[in-house]
Amino acid sequence: MKAELKELWRFRELLFAMVERELRIRYKNSALGFFWSLLNPLITVLVMTVVFKYVMNNDTPNFSAYILAAYLPYLFFQLTLLDASQSVLVALPVVKKVYFPREILPLASVFSNFIHFLLAILVFFAYLLVVYLLDPRISPFSWTILLLPALLLINFALAAGLSLIVSALNTFYEDVKYIVSVLLYLLFFLSPIMYFSETVLYSGGLGGRNQLIYFLYHLNPVAMLCTAYRKVLVPPQPVQVGENFYPALPLDWGLLGITAAMSLAALIGGYAMFNRMKWRFVERP
Amino acid sequence: MANDIALSVDGLRKQFLLSHSGAASLKTALLWWRRRKLEHFVALDGVNLQVGRGECVALVGRNGAGKSTLLSLISRIYRPTSGSIAVNGRIAPLLELGAGFHPDLTGVENVVFNGIILGLTRKQVQARMADIVRFAELEHHIDSPVRTYSSGMLARLGFAVAVHVDADILIVDEVLAVGDFAFEQKCYARIEDFRRSGGTILFVSHNMESVRQIADRCVWLRGGKVEMEGAPESVITAYQGDRSEVDL
Ligand SMILES: Nc1ncnc2c1ncn2[C@@H]1O[C@H](COP(=O)(O)OP(=O)(O)OP(=O)(O)O)[C@@H](O)[C@H]1O
Ligand SMILES: [Mg+2]
Repeated sequence: MKAELKELWRFRELLFAMVERELRIRYKNSALGFFWSLLNPLITVLVMTVVFKYVMNNDTPNFSAYILAAYLPYLFFQLTLLDASQSVLVALPVVKKVYFPREILPLASVFSNFIHFLLAILVFFAYLLVVYLLDPRISPFSWTILLLPALLLINFALAAGLSLIVSALNTFYEDVKYIVSVLLYLLFFLSPIMYFSETVLYSGGLGGRNQLIYFLYHLNPVAMLCTAYRKVLVPPQPVQVGENFYPALPLDWGLLGITAAMSLAALIGGYAMFNRMKWRFVERP
Repeated sequence: MANDIALSVDGLRKQFLLSHSGAASLKTALLWWRRRKLEHFVALDGVNLQVGRGECVALVGRNGAGKSTLLSLISRIYRPTSGSIAVNGRIAPLLELGAGFHPDLTGVENVVFNGIILGLTRKQVQARMADIVRFAELEHHIDSPVRTYSSGMLARLGFAVAVHVDADILIVDEVLAVGDFAFEQKCYARIEDFRRSGGTILFVSHNMESVRQIADRCVWLRGGKVEMEGAPESVITAYQGDRSEVDL
């Protein structure tokens, strides 16, 4: 693996060029293109907020900020995996002609989506600031924001590891991307995006096994990351479950540690797996 | 490896897994799992080849003889099943029809990207940009997206990048007959320049005229083996006299 990493480093300029190219294509060479690409998540969050406020009668103040704090990371994860799953396949004509470390292809998808994600977080901060200016009772930032880089790192490792696996598999089995997109769709509901993770703990429908289910729920690294982003980015807030309000739980370091370990394992395992398969990409049946 | 050798291929063997199952998907993999028979096809069978520095070697042979497979192995696209390849210097493949160009990016953007893929740094590409554009004669179109180019224009641009990367070894697989007549002459002139400055060329062609014109030596591949090698004239005569059936 050391030799492979060295080779990858030797080709870093190609990785930068590929990331730049993907962003150029995505933003169509204009700053407006970036904001255009944010339109989809913003509209989604707007609809979710409206449904929550008026249909489900949940009046958590500033709810859209809580959705965004979890939805943006989820979106990063989703878009990265979908892009990466196609990355080797669409580049196959070049791959068959020129040598370069093949892992550059999925990694370029990861990096370009990560940059996009970082920009989206900046826009999110601007949004928090606007909300604060409109209503000074809602404080925008707390010290927990210092933990954001750690979350980003874990999130990046997880996305990169799974992207390597998915892109390698999808090169041989072209239906893998459909399976991945279905799983991602399910993951949306199994992650605390439209609701709070505390809801799982205090829900009345789990037959008294709430502690266990809350733990199992957070073994899913995406769910754990969404929970953690929300705790880090926006201030804690009492959670409404049914008629009752419950205090917000603090960030669970043990669970986050498990997610960090899983993400690291995904990165190392994914890279090893990709390297074992990459020489056969050009010989695929 | 001796310093006057650019490329040395030793006992090279390449075996492919033949597929009978059609589309590559999990579904077919599951459906075909029991009926799958693993059949191997030997595309190259113990090939030995040495190319000296500054030499221009032509590979000829019938369809399916293994010429492209050999070039791909040398460019590190495939891994050999067994045998070894030693390369002295940097290799640049001549990409056909601008493989790797993105239709929505402009000519300039694509040149930068292609140059980097072929091993240049961004600075080096930018320094050569004017030469590349002039060589391709695309001054008026270079800032338009390449989807507006004709296929000949794409090929010109692709060729222009490839010949400006200053590789030590140029690998050409039947891509010279792409532009119009004038551009083809220009390509040959450029290749001649490349050789005079000490570059090594390994190329595949079905056009015996161009083999005679530029090759120092000719290698005839037949069924994955070197059938004959030597002076172009004698190898071409023998190759053209071969009337046996090809077994694909
Ligand atoms: N990925 C692959 N899987 C299975 N067989 C392959 C694969 N690639 C090439 N082959 C087989 O290897 C043989 C040699 O192919 P190759 O492309 O090297 O021929 P060639 O000499 O370049 O022929 P042509 O003159 O038509 O270009 C062919 O019979 C081909 O079917
Ligand atoms: Mg060929």
